[in-house]
Amino acid sequence: MPKPSDLLQGTLDLLILKIIARKPLHGWGIAKRIQALSGDTLSVGQGSLYPALHRLENQGWICADWEESELGRPAKAYSLTPEGRKQLERELKSWKRLSSAVHLLIQNA
Amino acid sequence: MRTIRIIKRRVYSLLHRSNADAELQREIEIHIQQLTNEAIAGGMTQTEARAMALREFGPVDQIKEKCRDTRRVRWIQNFVQDLRYGVRMLRQSPAFTAIAVITLALGIGANTAIFSLVDAVLLRSLPYRDPNQLVLILNAPLNRPDALSGISYRDFTACRAQNRVFSEMAGNAFHDLTLTRAGEPAIVTTAAVTPEIFPLLNAKPLLGRTLLPEDGKPGAAAVAVLSENLWRSRFGSNPGLIGQSIALDMRSFTVVGILPASFGYPEGAPRQDVWISVMQDPLFGPLTSQPGVRLLGVMGRLKPGVSLAGAQAEINTLGARLAMEFPAEDSGMTIRIQPYRQAVVRNLKPALLILLSAVGLLLLIACANIANLLLSKATSRAREMAVRIALGASRARIVCQLMTESALLGLLGGAGGLLLAVCAVWSLQPFLPPEVVQISSIHVGGPVLVVALLLSLATALVFGLAPALLATPSNLQTNLKEGGERSGQRGGRHLRSFLAIAEMSLAMLLLVAGGLLIRSFALVASVNPGFDPDNVTQAEASLPRFQYSTPQQWTAFSQELLARLHAQPGLQDSALAAPLPMDRQGEATFAFSIVGNPPLPPSESATADYATVSPEYFHAMRIPLLRGRLFSEQDSPDNPNVAIISEALAQRYFENRDPIGRHMRFGFPPNGNVSREIVGVVGDVRDVALSQQPGPIMYVPFAQAPLYGGEVVVRSSLATSTVAAAIRQVVHSIDKDLPVTDVRSFRDALGQSISQERFRTFLLGSFSAIALALAAVGVFGVISYSASQRTHEIGIRMALGAQRRDVLHLILKQGAKLALLGLGIGAVLAFLLTRFIAGMLYGVSATDPLTFGAVAIVLLGVAVIACYIPARRATRIDPMVALRYQ
Repeated sequence: MPKPSDLLQGTLDLLILKIIARKPLHGWGIAKRIQALSGDTLSVGQGSLYPALHRLENQGWICADWEESELGRPAKAYSLTPEGRKQLERELKSWKRLSSAVHLLIQNA
Repeated sequence: MRTIRIIKRRVYSLLHRSNADAELQREIEIHIQQLTNEAIAGGMTQTEARAMALREFGPVDQIKEKCRDTRRVRWIQNFVQDLRYGVRMLRQSPAFTAIAVITLALGIGANTAIFSLVDAVLLRSLPYRDPNQLVLILNAPLNRPDALSGISYRDFTACRAQNRVFSEMAGNAFHDLTLTRAGEPAIVTTAAVTPEIFPLLNAKPLLGRTLLPEDGKPGAAAVAVLSENLWRSRFGSNPGLIGQSIALDMRSFTVVGILPASFGYPEGAPRQDVWISVMQDPLFGPLTSQPGVRLLGVMGRLKPGVSLAGAQAEINTLGARLAMEFPAEDSGMTIRIQPYRQAVVRNLKPALLILLSAVGLLLLIACANIANLLLSKATSRAREMAVRIALGASRARIVCQLMTESALLGLLGGAGGLLLAVCAVWSLQPFLPPEVVQISSIHVGGPVLVVALLLSLATALVFGLAPALLATPSNLQTNLKEGGERSGQRGGRHLRSFLAIAEMSLAMLLLVAGGLLIRSFALVASVNPGFDPDNVTQAEASLPRFQYSTPQQWTAFSQELLARLHAQPGLQDSALAAPLPMDRQGEATFAFSIVGNPPLPPSESATADYATVSPEYFHAMRIPLLRGRLFSEQDSPDNPNVAIISEALAQRYFENRDPIGRHMRFGFPPNGNVSREIVGVVGDVRDVALSQQPGPIMYVPFAQAPLYGGEVVVRSSLATSTVAAAIRQVVHSIDKDLPVTDVRSFRDALGQSISQERFRTFLLGSFSAIALALAAVGVFGVISYSASQRTHEIGIRMALGAQRRDVLHLILKQGAKLALLGLGIGAVLAFLLTRFIAGMLYGVSATDPLTFGAVAIVLLGVAVIACYIPARRATRIDPMVALRYQ
């Protein structure tokens, strides 16, 4: 089995923000969602999701609440703060700029 | 909004740490549970599934740690933990803590106390608006720019009108007047000023008004402004005083205002009770019309943007113009300006800076001591440190923790030092030389507190850093293997020796400085002043000049006074004089010329001190007659004018010729200008200061040159208080309204004249004593530690046949080596640096070999004693025990 490529930290942050932008979600849900979106190629080392979540929370981009969940007991659900929404837009923009630049580079190489 | 959210998060993780950790645990547990459930659903057993989930999740504890790291409150938690740990460590070794805190408190306390002096004298700005614009304007001869004097009223008005550099100029002169019509007659210090002084210094009255320009014109009504102190003490704070009249020297003045206690000039007179216009002053008023009398001290305020040099250039031109215009009085004279602060601070600045450096050195010694203690501690803790590093603590983290401990010590020491400083400032207040106190109040205020805090932290850094770095070894293995006993020992031992040497050399420097000052002070205090000050009581009686207006009245009063004194049992040996030795402010020198010698230009005239004395004066003061005769009752106004000169005057101005029978012409009193025959030569007297060589003095008989009062001196075997009471009673029996002031024994007066010398000698002496004690403790610490480390070696030596004497030598030699090195370096330092105190020394050179030698012997002796104790202990080692132990 090919080793999943390491996710750049910034990319992981972007993914998390993008995923919970649709609806608040707990850590398990976010991990599942990343797996589903990327297939196995982008599989996150499951535990490494949590430091990222906590960092985003401590930076004020996202906030969390313990809510009843489909897991059968209360889980910590993360949602975007208004500032987090703006941050997501900024990150998306810069990601697009970067990826198109890389794309262009690779095409012309 | 986001900031608030972040702060909330941090506060939460800080205060509800266990909650946050529990939540983190639960969150991760849910995730692992889900993974396990999935694996079970895939067909695994419970145990297999759990293991699989944990594998997939990753290292749980590391992840948790990473999550906690994102809280960004770690450093606070670490700090609190370090603090707790530090407190515990300090409480575990109370002896170490006590020694360290006391040492630090001494160092920081001395620094804080001296800094509060520096703050009051040099740093705090003078209590006027824009004090840096204030300058003094003084006359000086062109060829002797340091012989400063006041300015005549005429020249003052000319300067004030013609200059373009000062926004305002004002003159002032100080003297004592007698206040009557307000209870007991009292002497009040009076400032005779030109009215511009009030706007110049921005003085606002507490009540009424200050002087107006009209009050300074000739012929204006006599008005006075009183000080708040006088108003409260004499007039019971009665606001109705404004508009009432008081009498100064029997002249009537209307009180127009009260000035707040905060107002005064520090320079000139220590305090002022009354301000009047110089024009209306009973004594100075008439002198304003005499252009030869340099009456006024002049103060000016520079216009904004005018530099000192620019002002001096303008004033030079003005001075030259005045010299051209009025050659009779002003030729050869120039005008100099001086920043006001400089005039106020005078010789205090170098003394204070030297004291400040001394306490700085003291603090360095204290730091070295504590660094030494910490090093010994650190070495014994090296194993603990090694274990902690092996368990994953970073070196930075451990250094941080050790530094927290040091900072804690520093702050404790700082608190102790502050306490000490407050006590010192409070208890030293009465001993402060008057020059210091009059500038501004000395107290431990805001800036001083800040300095004390910074000092404590800085010292903690200085003494804590090296031990902390040495305590965290870079080579773990040796540490763990050898039980830490020898770890860091090489570096540590070198550092310790270096610290001990540094302490010795700094102590040597301080002791030499202290020793020089003490020797110099002893010389000053024991110098022969030229008279015998023991058993002499002095008292001042002055006559109000409006009541006693003629010289005949003054003479009559003096004769009556002396006759009545001589009639009293025990007071026969009494006399009258003005002024007495040590009673002068600065160099009061009066011009004279010798009849028959070619005249000298005005700027080079011969000068001498001038005293008018009753015939018994020389006997009462025990001033020896060298040639000719003393004054007698026959030297009255009806008989030829005579004078007696001091030996210095005879030697300087008559060289090898006999002065007896020659004539001198005096410039004082201003309109005296009489010729006097020299009838005698008497011994020299130190009349300006004990530390100054005797200058030339001319004495005239009181009967021929009377003054409005004078100093009574009584030599008596009776107690000073008895004599004082008798003098008061005699004066009041002549005129019950006459104030008698300044009553004290002559010894006390002499003591006060050297109060500044005594003060700085006392301070520097105490500092060097503390330095000596600290250095001794330092050497003791190093040697006893090293001896204890060498127990094993000594055991072997003794087993191989070394005698106790050999062991004693071994240890003492090590200590002596340190001490001698320190002494050598200290002697070189002292040789280079003591010249900065040369100006404070009397009769000793800054490199006085006797002081250097004595200090070296004392220090060496103390060092040897400090080494002897651990050396003795080393000789008692039982070789068997020593060998078995390691």
